[in-house]
Amino acid sequence: MELTHPLELFPGCSVTLLLFRRVRNAAALRKKAMEGSIEGALINPAMIVDPFQILVAANKAVHLEKIGKMKTRTLYAEIIFSLSPNNNISDAFKKFGISDSDTAVLIVLVADREKKINLEDITSQVEGQQVSVDELPQLTDIAKVKKLYKVTPQEEKIGTLLDSIVCRMSTKDVL
Amino acid sequence: GISAPAVYFVDYVTNSIYLEDIVGSITVQDHINSVQQSGDDTSSLLPLAEKMGEVLARMHDEDLIHGDLTTSNILLRPPTEKLDLVLIDFGLSFISGLPEDKGVDLYVLEKAFLSAHPDTETMFKALLKTYAATSKKSGPVIKRLDEVRLRGRK
Repeated sequence: MELTHPLELFPGCSVTLLLFRRVRNAAALRKKAMEGSIEGALINPAMIVDPFQILVAANKAVHLEKIGKMKTRTLYAEIIFSLSPNNNISDAFKKFGISDSDTAVLIVLVADREKKINLEDITSQVEGQQVSVDELPQLTDIAKVKKLYKVTPQEEKIGTLLDSIVCRMSTKDVL
Repeated sequence: GISAPAVYFVDYVTNSIYLEDIVGSITVQDHINSVQQSGDDTSSLLPLAEKMGEVLARMHDEDLIHGDLTTSNILLRPPTEKLDLVLIDFGLSFISGLPEDKGVDLYVLEKAFLSAHPDTETMFKALLKTYAATSKKSGPVIKRLDEVRLRGRK
């Protein structure tokens, strides 16, 4: 159901994705996320084309946390910020975080040797149905994603949408 | 609009870049060598030369200078018949609109080509022909290439 993937660059560290549909308490969840009482990143699945996109964001966030150079205050906020193609933190939350009216939520958890995750803790707080992460493509809004990441038709002829997105995520602080 | 490995992660601490691995690819250099060694006619390599000319024209039209063009810096994604080229190793690249820089870029490739692969003059000619036909700014570049060639010979 959920998808767990290790982060090769950080041995012992792994990322777990949980997807929920028919969610009824998005507003309450968002409030909890803002208060920091939920141990996970709550993400709008419409903006995600592939779990790899999450892994790249999580990898960068974990790296920055370890060297003390995060731009946001928590690891989970940093994952959401890393998904954004620009350096505006509040814009990242608006575009990639969940909003009160959302009916689908993607939750991302990071565990390492010191911090174990409790899936029950998270799933019990969501009033919705957990589904397989394989259903993610059904929820992606491709047009919105292309617009947000400013993917050109030329690029699409050459590589995949995922590649274009990942390049922008990983090089945004270089440019 | 140029095929190159995707950048996955930039680590400023160790100064490393994590890139996409083009699985199962071979360099154009290895491909040309294997075709020549198997005794195949190099005319079968002309479509490859034309594709290279096309990719380089698009790159130069965006004012991107590779800086180290050799046949080992161009990969062929499998299956090789598709002629799906991937440019790699941009360690010496820079942005420039100058025909001189583009001409030198092509000259470096020509020298690398002819020294690594004997009897490929027709290949390179085909490459330049397609380059000239594809690039919107090729006139001055080819002219500079001719001048650079003369300079090199002095």
